[in-house]
Amino acid sequence: MSLTSADDSIRLAPASQFTIEQLTALYNKTRVDYMVPMPMNVARLADYIHLYDIDLDHSFVAMQNEEMLGVAMLGVRHQRAWITRLGVAPATRRHGAGQMLVKSLIAAADSLHLPLIMLEVIKNNAPAHQLFLKLGFRETGELLVLRRPPRTSPPDPMVADAQRLDRTDSLVLVGHDRGMQPWTNQSESLTNAQEVSGIRLTLADGSRGWLVYQRQKFLLTRFAFKTERGDPVTVARALLSHLHSQYPRLDTQIENIQLGDPHLPAFYDMGYMESFRRVEMWRNASVG
Amino acid sequence: MRLAKVNRMKAKILVLVIEDMPDNAELARKVLTARGYEVILAYDAESGLKTAKDQHPDIILLDLGLPDYDGQTLAGWLRDEPSLTNIPIVAVTAWPPETARQMVESYGCNGYISKPINVANFADQIAAFLKPSNNAS
Repeated sequence: MSLTSADDSIRLAPASQFTIEQLTALYNKTRVDYMVPMPMNVARLADYIHLYDIDLDHSFVAMQNEEMLGVAMLGVRHQRAWITRLGVAPATRRHGAGQMLVKSLIAAADSLHLPLIMLEVIKNNAPAHQLFLKLGFRETGELLVLRRPPRTSPPDPMVADAQRLDRTDSLVLVGHDRGMQPWTNQSESLTNAQEVSGIRLTLADGSRGWLVYQRQKFLLTRFAFKTERGDPVTVARALLSHLHSQYPRLDTQIENIQLGDPHLPAFYDMGYMESFRRVEMWRNASVG
Repeated sequence: MRLAKVNRMKAKILVLVIEDMPDNAELARKVLTARGYEVILAYDAESGLKTAKDQHPDIILLDLGLPDYDGQTLAGWLRDEPSLTNIPIVAVTAWPPETARQMVESYGCNGYISKPINVANFADQIAAFLKPSNNAS
């Protein structure tokens, strides 16, 4: 697939035609002026592509002559797609490359007969937000990126019947219906991740729930959690108290927690703080 | 005391700049070298931690957006390393001031300098962090 802009100066090429090194350099170039640039190295981008089921044959690079101007990637899962890593190099913005990229991803999702396209945009990134609205996306919620520094006074683990879960048992829980989560927190994201484990506990009053997470070298991340019975704040507080007692020296970063999530007060109680927010947007195939 | 620390010249203050953008890193090196500092560079978190352990700089300037692990996570590692506990860590970030202050304090940094750096003031800002008990940003 090779698309061109109205003036033929910008064309799109499938991202699979480029090396991961080239895509990494391009991605970093597009984010260099962001307040939160979140650069990646080659290993991190390769991991991202694997974790989030990025289909490079249906992702695109915007080119002008031989220069790589921008990139946008498409995650593909059962009945849904995800737009991510969209960026255009600062000096070449406002010439239609971003719109071309997004339109091409929408067309690619349509060609794969995927009825839902999801994405997140950093809150206050007005140009991108406006572009997505223009192309038929609607806001579905606000998402939080939260952090908890290491060495935050670890809470005493709340008294509970707690059980550590291995990867297999953790993924069984994550596979249960948790509603429609943001892409990064969906079951597939954890299934694709290494070093996944979990905690399941029952409190004295019968409240119970579970927390599944990924433990990286210096970081706890990718949480999935559910209260099966009882007050979500109490259950989450108990789960987090056990988790952070177990790993007091690890940093924690979790992303795309829905603003209305009933567990949220427990995170703040346990020393989490907000890094920034994203807006979640969806587009149904019937729109536009 | 570590050999690397013993061997290097103590006449100059050693600044470790951990910054993934080569242009930014070179600018910091140029400005600080002109003011008599010795500067070493690292371009990601893993190499930044290794360099800090090997070289024991007098101060660490830490970009919060790094390509392997981010700067906050690295600040946590640095503060968790007993031999590095007393080295000032200064975050260099484009975060809004309130967010930057909250993040750097909670991750054990001594303060922050806003990006883009002000070339005219940069060396003085670094010098301020080298004075005892100065945590100002």
